[in-house]
Amino acid sequence: MHNNPSLPALATVLEVVEETPNIKTFRVRFNDESLMESFSFMPGQVGQLSIFGVGESTFVINSSPTRMDYLQFSVMKVGEVTSRLHQLKAGDTVGVRAPLGNWFPVDEMKGKDVVFVAGGIGMAPLRTLLVYMLDNRADYGKITLLYGARSPVDLSFKYDVEEWMARDDLDVVLTVDAPAEGWEESATRRVGLIPNVLLELNPAPENCVAVTCGPPIMIKFTLQALKKLEFGDEQIITTLEKRMKCGVGLCGRCNIGTKYVCVDGPVFRYSDLKDLPNEL
Amino acid sequence: MSVLQELKEQIRAALPELDMVLGWEQGFDALHMRPLFIRTEKDLERLVLNPLCVHSLATYLPGLLRGAGNDKKVGLVVKGCDSRAVIQLVQEKLIPRDRVVMFGFGCNGIVSLQKLEAGAQGCSGIGSVEFAGDKVVLSAPDTKVELPFAEIRSGKCETCRYHNAIDADHFAGARVEEGAVPAKHPTLEEFEKLPLSERFAFWQEQMRRCVRCYACRNTCPMCVCRDHCIATSRNPHWLTQESSTAENFMFQMIHVMHLTGRCVECGECERACPLDIPLMLLRRSMNGVVRELFAYESGTDPDATPPLLTYQVEEETINERGW
Amino acid sequence: MSRQFISHDKMTAWLDALSRDRAVLVPMDDCGTVTFRPYVPGRKALLDKMPVRAPKEGVFPQTETLLRFKYDKDPENLDRVKVQVREVLPTQKAVVVGGRPCGARGQLILDRVYNCDTMRDPYYVSRRENTLYVTVACTSAESTCFCHSVGSGPDDSEGSDVLLVPVEGGYVAEGVTERGRELLAEGDFESASQARMDEAGAVISRTRGQLGEAHDYSDAPRKLLERFDDMDFWNEQAAICISCGACTYLCPTCYCFNMTDEQSGLQGKRLRTWDTCMSFEFTLEGSGHNPRPTKAHRLRNRMGHKFAYYPELHEGLIACCGCGRCIKSCPVSLDIRAVVQAAQNHNAVPEEAEEKADA
Repeated sequence: MHNNPSLPALATVLEVVEETPNIKTFRVRFNDESLMESFSFMPGQVGQLSIFGVGESTFVINSSPTRMDYLQFSVMKVGEVTSRLHQLKAGDTVGVRAPLGNWFPVDEMKGKDVVFVAGGIGMAPLRTLLVYMLDNRADYGKITLLYGARSPVDLSFKYDVEEWMARDDLDVVLTVDAPAEGWEESATRRVGLIPNVLLELNPAPENCVAVTCGPPIMIKFTLQALKKLEFGDEQIITTLEKRMKCGVGLCGRCNIGTKYVCVDGPVFRYSDLKDLPNEL
Repeated sequence: MSVLQELKEQIRAALPELDMVLGWEQGFDALHMRPLFIRTEKDLERLVLNPLCVHSLATYLPGLLRGAGNDKKVGLVVKGCDSRAVIQLVQEKLIPRDRVVMFGFGCNGIVSLQKLEAGAQGCSGIGSVEFAGDKVVLSAPDTKVELPFAEIRSGKCETCRYHNAIDADHFAGARVEEGAVPAKHPTLEEFEKLPLSERFAFWQEQMRRCVRCYACRNTCPMCVCRDHCIATSRNPHWLTQESSTAENFMFQMIHVMHLTGRCVECGECERACPLDIPLMLLRRSMNGVVRELFAYESGTDPDATPPLLTYQVEEETINERGW
Repeated sequence: MSRQFISHDKMTAWLDALSRDRAVLVPMDDCGTVTFRPYVPGRKALLDKMPVRAPKEGVFPQTETLLRFKYDKDPENLDRVKVQVREVLPTQKAVVVGGRPCGARGQLILDRVYNCDTMRDPYYVSRRENTLYVTVACTSAESTCFCHSVGSGPDDSEGSDVLLVPVEGGYVAEGVTERGRELLAEGDFESASQARMDEAGAVISRTRGQLGEAHDYSDAPRKLLERFDDMDFWNEQAAICISCGACTYLCPTCYCFNMTDEQSGLQGKRLRTWDTCMSFEFTLEGSGHNPRPTKAHRLRNRMGHKFAYYPELHEGLIACCGCGRCIKSCPVSLDIRAVVQAAQNHNAVPEEAEEKADA
């Protein structure tokens, strides 16, 4: 990072992948090779992507720091900046301010079992952690991924999921909200809301950490399910999304009480969130 | 019975059927009153009525009365100018007349704090203000200053033709007799004597000073766009957030334009401006044009339709074919 | 403790000297109100008036250009545009003369956020290093002044480089910082006599007397957090608020901002501009969700930030300087003191609470 946290570095788009009708994945490399070489980040950290003339928007760096051919960001088209981002093609320039925020406690999670519960675009922040753990496989125990979306077409990273399902060192279960054409139900391809499927899977809380991300309503009910399964508050980790502008704890937008989501987050343990004022 | 007592009686009688009544109460010091939301008898005890009750309570109405399923009924105490704002909002169908109850009284004008502070030079720490007929007595620990009320009265009151609230549901005290007032406000009269180049230079200076705090916009009873105002919108993107003379000018111009045929000259914008920018000059000028073109006075007739919200094949006051 | 003295005439000469190689901002009459304006010899500085706008402008301007960008069509591939980005760092030297101690406190609050171990904003830091503050102490207090209740006072020198106390015929001066002392050397200051120093002391004592007893806000953080989920309380406190932004823009300690890109043709700039947490759009998310959807939520955040969150993160320092600008400029006279005190008094018996709030 420069000594000017407000100044983006220029990066070139290498590849654009269409994940779903409204989500695209961008793989970028810094124009400055020495910056690309020296760049480092931890799973969970985010970046601000700039389209100069339009603005910035926050996305998790969802590639793993163990694979530095490029930085990967996945963008859901919701507004002005994201719409313009969706117009980018390979070879276009984009501004990147990264890494920002805190990261998943990868060291503390060593030796533990990990249950990932992802909903929709919430798979993006979990992807970086999952790939990181797979690349450091020996450090972690049993890994389970429960990934759900509204329908099959809304599942992102289908190419990754295929690869993961073929591995024997992690369990993957997908689910969609309602039966869909072409979706053959099986033990690994279910139909049902994420929290319900989670209860069916019944992961044991002993020596286990649950990491979850998704739409607010999904997180709410997933938390309830995890509590039902007797996961302790410190065993549940999530990553929050808030309106961020400066990304460095100055502009006053993203704070929840004394915590700035861009500096003290976006990764939080449920035990930390419970103490915060109710302003999500 | 004093006017205040009569007003309290009227509010007391109406309160059971209303969600709240908006009035005024004592503020943080002798020179400042503040709006009061009356729901209970205890709240009612705090009601005051004096020339320091400068705020137009009509600005709260759209926020309180609009929205799907909203069936609130709200009362408010209104000066003449405030009632015009209410009438204009009713004309534009922004608020329903049958859910508003106006408590009027005869108003002889309000205080301009700017003028009061100028007139009370050297009198610091004013502890009490007494309104005695056409005099105002300001008392401080070691001094007393007596000023003629006319000297510290707000500029907008100089051309007021509606001392008594229009279409009020209740009226406390006696009506004030409307006197003759100049058709054009003296400040506008003076200003229009300047050549155009000087007028433009004047506004460039004033617009440089604007802080884009939007106090003028948010006190204006007619400005209902609030959270969706074009001043802060990126889509459409008419203004940048840069606080430069050009951008500020653009904001103020848009504001005036959006008030064409709507502004009731309540003067709240100018009162609220922390930099004392003479915003009323712009609005008075615009209203003069509206009066000339459409023979229309905003906020006076609950059944009228504002000229820019309707279409006439032949405008009564515009001689199109004769030109 | 030695002090210096400068007469009014020599004060003008000093301002003239300072303005030769620096931008000098002083309170001046600006179309009827007093604000900070650039000083040029011949213009009258109104050092006995507190400007409507805050002295933080010297180091944190309302509009700051962060970077400029320019698009160029790529000659090798007309389909493609290249972009160049250039940061714009401020370099001008300046002196802000005539702010009050409450205003100088703004710098303390901002310093801890914009220039600390974990965060260094080069724009702020550059301005801060290039700007000196010559603060004028207060000879009187208004009903809206409460600097003494939030850790400051009429002669508080923290955040200033030079402190001037108005006395008969001129000012008693204190060089608070090394650079402040260097600044004094550029003017025709003489050693202050004991009589003059005593007079300065008396002036401050009189002002302190006018301020009255300080209110104790030390339990405000806890009490405000206790009220956090009490939406009835916040709805009542925020009822008269009209959600403009006058309070935030005039506040010496407010530092929230917006970042927007403004483009014209193929070039443009990224701006940092003051923003107000009292507006609906401030926390509005792309999905349409808004964590602070009503003015009650936003008032709660503003009070919380100044009297609870900031003090908790910064060793009890209250992010309010007691200048009273928000109270004076609020179109509906909403009083920050009343809101915080209402939270502090909340569990008291109702009649008692009312009595306390009037104090």
